[in-house]
Amino acid sequence: LTDVFPLRFRRFADGSKGDSILFANEVGQFFVSGEPFLERLVCNKLKSSDINYLSKRGMSSKKEGDLNYAAFLSRLAARTRRPGKLSYVILVPTLRCDLACSYCQVSRVAEKAKGFDWTKQRTAQVFEFLDQNCGDNVQIEFQGGEPTLRCDIIAEIMQFCRNRFNSPLFVICTNLSRVSEELKEMAAMDDVLISTSLDGSKVNHQKQRTISEAVTDAFCDNLSAMVEVTNGRVSALPTLDPNDLPDIGDILDIYEKFGMYSIFLRPIFYHGFARKRHPESRELDQKWSKYYKDFVEEIMARNYNRTEDLLEEYYLSLALKKLTRLSENSHVDLRTPNWLGYDHLLIDYDGQLYPSDEARMLARSGQIDLSIGSLDSGIDEEKRASLQGREFNALDPWCSSCVYQSACGSDPIDDLARYGRADVPRPLTAFCQKNMSVFDFAIELLMSEDERVQKSVSYWLSLPSHFDQKDYLL
Amino acid sequence: MIELTLKADFSNPDYKPFVAKLSVDDGPAHAVLVADNENEMVFAFDSLVFSIQKPRNGGILDDIIYSDPKTGLVQRWLRATSPHNTLLVTERCDQLCIMCSQPPKKSHTDYFEHFKKACRLAPMDMVVGISGGEPTLFKEQLFDLIEQTFRARPDIRFHVLTNGQHFTSQDIDRLRKPAFNTVLWGVPLYSSQPELHDEIVAKPGAFETLLKTFPTMAMAGINIELRTVMLKQNYEALGQLADFIGDRLPFIRFWAIMQLERIGFAKNRWETQFIDHSSDIEILENSVSRVAQTGMEVALYNVPSCTVSQKLRPYLRQSISDWKKNFPEDCETCRLKSTCSGFFTWHNSLADYRLGGPL
Repeated sequence: LTDVFPLRFRRFADGSKGDSILFANEVGQFFVSGEPFLERLVCNKLKSSDINYLSKRGMSSKKEGDLNYAAFLSRLAARTRRPGKLSYVILVPTLRCDLACSYCQVSRVAEKAKGFDWTKQRTAQVFEFLDQNCGDNVQIEFQGGEPTLRCDIIAEIMQFCRNRFNSPLFVICTNLSRVSEELKEMAAMDDVLISTSLDGSKVNHQKQRTISEAVTDAFCDNLSAMVEVTNGRVSALPTLDPNDLPDIGDILDIYEKFGMYSIFLRPIFYHGFARKRHPESRELDQKWSKYYKDFVEEIMARNYNRTEDLLEEYYLSLALKKLTRLSENSHVDLRTPNWLGYDHLLIDYDGQLYPSDEARMLARSGQIDLSIGSLDSGIDEEKRASLQGREFNALDPWCSSCVYQSACGSDPIDDLARYGRADVPRPLTAFCQKNMSVFDFAIELLMSEDERVQKSVSYWLSLPSHFDQKDYLL
Repeated sequence: MIELTLKADFSNPDYKPFVAKLSVDDGPAHAVLVADNENEMVFAFDSLVFSIQKPRNGGILDDIIYSDPKTGLVQRWLRATSPHNTLLVTERCDQLCIMCSQPPKKSHTDYFEHFKKACRLAPMDMVVGISGGEPTLFKEQLFDLIEQTFRARPDIRFHVLTNGQHFTSQDIDRLRKPAFNTVLWGVPLYSSQPELHDEIVAKPGAFETLLKTFPTMAMAGINIELRTVMLKQNYEALGQLADFIGDRLPFIRFWAIMQLERIGFAKNRWETQFIDHSSDIEILENSVSRVAQTGMEVALYNVPSCTVSQKLRPYLRQSISDWKKNFPEDCETCRLKSTCSGFFTWHNSLADYRLGGPL
């Protein structure tokens, strides 16, 4: 007697693969087959070769406690276990900023505003909180406002963490409109990364962010300087308006010019002030999806003849890893259960604690208060627990029958931002639509026989050979 | 080569066997340095005075030693300055691997009480290797050693080499306790073809037994380093083994693929066992890639840098213990020497490899 671990399936929508169907189980093991297998599966008429294949893949079990059973459970446990201490903390030492971008994702106040910075006492409280709650490999991200307006606080925090934890990492998110000597010195340390925004072309960046040519030029000079002092440890995000998309080649050219090869392509987010000024960004449209694929095509074309400086689109690489590495579950934007506020947390300028950057934006724009406590009163266990209701997609009626369930995630905060509620049927949410489209694309690439595609895929997955497909075909 | 056994003179050769820490300071179970001469160091321990001949390289202070005075020898069980220290639990084994580097013997002397003392005296954060023979033939004593050490010295970690044949479901609850988080179990698997694995370990049914003990190890949540030695016998089937690991052994920590050590049985069987992986590097590349694509860590042990393609170099580890590591003369000019695994002292030759030579 053999029991097959329950399979979900999905027909390839575009028909480019004939009648091929993707099958996957609850722990994310997948393979591609066709209608005949589906028919045999649902009619309980599996052939012995089907059973052998499923057994060899570890996707069936003969009895409780056998090897495949243990393998299945260990995979399930790897992705669902409760995280340990805090591994990622976002700090907002000030809410002040020297720019006023039209779609600012975070709340910000004018550079000269008073009362929006951490006080001495507040900073001391932060030390105490980090000391008690963080694990040894903690990553600290400095956000704002523009955090580099308070380099003094950043330096203090770094020094504290280096003394207290084994191997902390730091990310400074900055608009790079001004770069002080102090910032350069900090950025030169090996454990510091710089994260900034570069909205595609220079023209686009100026239109969306820097407004004047002088500020744009200063930004470009500062970006070059940062790439140099950090020895390349600079990453940038392009935030793009789906109704006004820049030329793909231009984006890649400018990123390459600055020595940045990993690009996280994002449409304008529906958060904070962005919500008020760009109501049309509520749904991701076909236009974005096509642009995204064309972008990746262009990357693969550039990568094909290269042995170094290969490009990647960050989110696609993440999706590929989530599909193929069944225990990978570290990215908070794409994981389930999401454990909101357990291993990832934000400390705002006023000492409030939030499960994520998005959660604080919702609070700031007055939609809903998702804070889970404050430095003064500690973590509010009850509030944190109440956030977890929608964060495990295996319990969602739509997701639990989806082939991508274990690779995908759950983002109730994004749903709240867009729809004002977290119980919208999954397929109607932007989160689901975007991820279905990215996962479909990722599967298509993984199973592609095109040499050009295979080269990029194996690079994105850091493999010494091509992705091995033969085991994934029945 | 670093000497692990040193000659010594004892004031009382009838003194009972003992474990001590060689130290300049007084302390519990310390043998205190009383004289440091040109060729020997003199220590006082309890009522005993003894002098140890200095090794050719490096010092012996802070080493944890074992000695039975009537042998006139001191064994350096835990060398303070080395990351490679191994306690030999037994010479008995229920397998007889065709390339065994340390062929088993029937006799057995129980040193567990001495091991416990040594582990309590070990330097902070030391990783103590446990090997044999097959250590789990003395499972009760071994578990006891791990648990007692954990109670006294939670900083000490163990790396136990075991054939994995002797775990049973009765062990699960015990192995789930925090003491066993300090242990990495190195378990060999040579093929996914039952007959071939059995033939290599010379024990019929060994593979079948592993199919039962692997789930036990998984349910116990222990840390497993899966070890595969490349041989003429199993190299072509390495890709199938990679499929097996990628699909059915997700609970192991990492897969170590190892090149053969020319000692023990392999010494006289070299021609029929050694496989030059560099002559068909694609097999190794594809196997590493197949398992790496599942997100599992893969490591190549005892593999010199020059014998693999650049794509495989990130997987290389400096795996050969300091006391038996060496380089042939050709390597002097190589720019990768400092990060290379090097060669075993007993066979430091590049001639075995088609690819190979200073980079």
